Amino acid sequence: MDRLVFEQVGKRYGKLWALRDFSARFMPGEAVSVIGPNGSGKTTMIKCLLGLVRATTGSIQVNGQRVGSDPAYRHQVGYMPQITRFPNELKIGQLIDLMDDIRRSGTPRTEGPLVRELGVDRMMDKRLGTLSGGQRQKVSAVLAFRYDPGVLILDEPTAGLDPLSSEALIAAVRKIKQNGCTVLITSHLMEEVEALADRVAYLHEGRLQFLLAPEEIIEATGQQRLSKAIPAMLTHKRTADVESL
Amino acid sequence: MLKVYKYTLIDLARNKFVGGWLLLLLAITLGLFQLEDQPVKAMLSLSQVLLALVPLVASVFSIVYLYDAMEFTELLAVQPLHRSKILGGQVLALATALVLGALAGAGIPLMLFHPGGASLTLLLACIMLTLVFTAIGALIAIRNREKARGVGLGLVVWFLFVLVYDAILLWVMFAFSDYPIEPLIVPLAALDPIDLGRIMVLLKVDLAAMMGYSGAVYEKFFGSARGILLALAALMAWVAVPAALGFRAFSRKDF
Repeated sequence: MDRLVFEQVGKRYGKLWALRDFSARFMPGEAVSVIGPNGSGKTTMIKCLLGLVRATTGSIQVNGQRVGSDPAYRHQVGYMPQITRFPNELKIGQLIDLMDDIRRSGTPRTEGPLVRELGVDRMMDKRLGTLSGGQRQKVSAVLAFRYDPGVLILDEPTAGLDPLSSEALIAAVRKIKQNGCTVLITSHLMEEVEALADRVAYLHEGRLQFLLAPEEIIEATGQQRLSKAIPAMLTHKRTADVESL
Repeated sequence: MLKVYKYTLIDLARNKFVGGWLLLLLAITLGLFQLEDQPVKAMLSLSQVLLALVPLVASVFSIVYLYDAMEFTELLAVQPLHRSKILGGQVLALATALVLGALAGAGIPLMLFHPGGASLTLLLACIMLTLVFTAIGALIAIRNREKARGVGLGLVVWFLFVLVYDAILLWVMFAFSDYPIEPLIVPLAALDPIDLGRIMVLLKVDLAAMMGYSGAVYEKFFGSARGILLALAALMAWVAVPAALGFRAFSRKDF
């Protein structure tokens, strides 16, 4: 059964369609890199899935549950935003307690995926307002992985992280994939895409241009690396579109 | 809702602004009781200050806090929680922190220097105005994406209620003084929550000279006790309407 189903999802802001007719199916245990230039609709697609924006058209299903006004489906979703400002005066431990209360988790604060690997266990009494950008990313990562999600959404996950923490995060993504979690990653780093993605979804001007495995993209373009194959793929696709007219 | 309420309140308890608000009120209240030789005069001066300051602080602080918490609110909105519980917890915590600040800063000295019904009514008016302007502040923060615009709008709303509306009401009374407009003043005064707070206090103090036209009309029409109850009921409506609009807007908000 598909873990995640998008059917003709569209989102319009005023006259502008930020996302148009987005249809895709994602399997358990696969990681998909969602890439595209700024304003291509990546964030809108993710926000539709998270229920942060209401899709103008179409529907989304997570494990057969329709994304809508009932928030229960979010028990299956983990989300690591790119930048988060937490309440300044709360401590990291208190934030984890709050999220544990909401998710009804009994895992002790200092346990769980990435807590020790990212050194968050040693920062439990630190005020969130005193954290650096990288430290906030670590806290976000811990919260995203903590509740055994069926769908994990990572928005530029390694931005601001030191190399060791980036490695720990990538290892955690590989592990959670093996456990059957579907992972959606937005990233501008092609190394990250190559390292993690089973498929690549390329969005441009709100439309899905292609959704293919990295090997398929490389094979179709004859390039050696994904970083070169993706631009070549777009040229290839445009030529094919023109020829089909 | 209680989970969000609890942790928002913990955050607010350590917030420097909330502590500063408490100390400011304490300084003003103690200062006025030290300066005035009659406690009732000090209480009346204090009521003028509090009825202007409480709405300003409640609306502007709520707007700023909710804007600053927007990214965290977004993180809460992706958890398995109904949005009404998120906003309910945050707004209730804001109102609790501001009410506790007012009770500790102004309430304790008031009860020490001028205990009695008038002081209690003033505190009740302050509590109600805190709730009203926290709800208005939340509505403004939800409906406007830009912080500067939200704060500006909050200041405009406060200025409208604290000064402009009274001036308009006064002009109406003078312009139509030849007509029997007294019955109209009751609903017109209810359109300004700060006026309602003032009416509540002055009806209890029973100083007709300081009541103003709308206060005098309230006393004439309803008597002291009924007038206070009516003003209180109108203030409750002033909490309920912006709160309901805020919840509606928040449930439909695109982050």
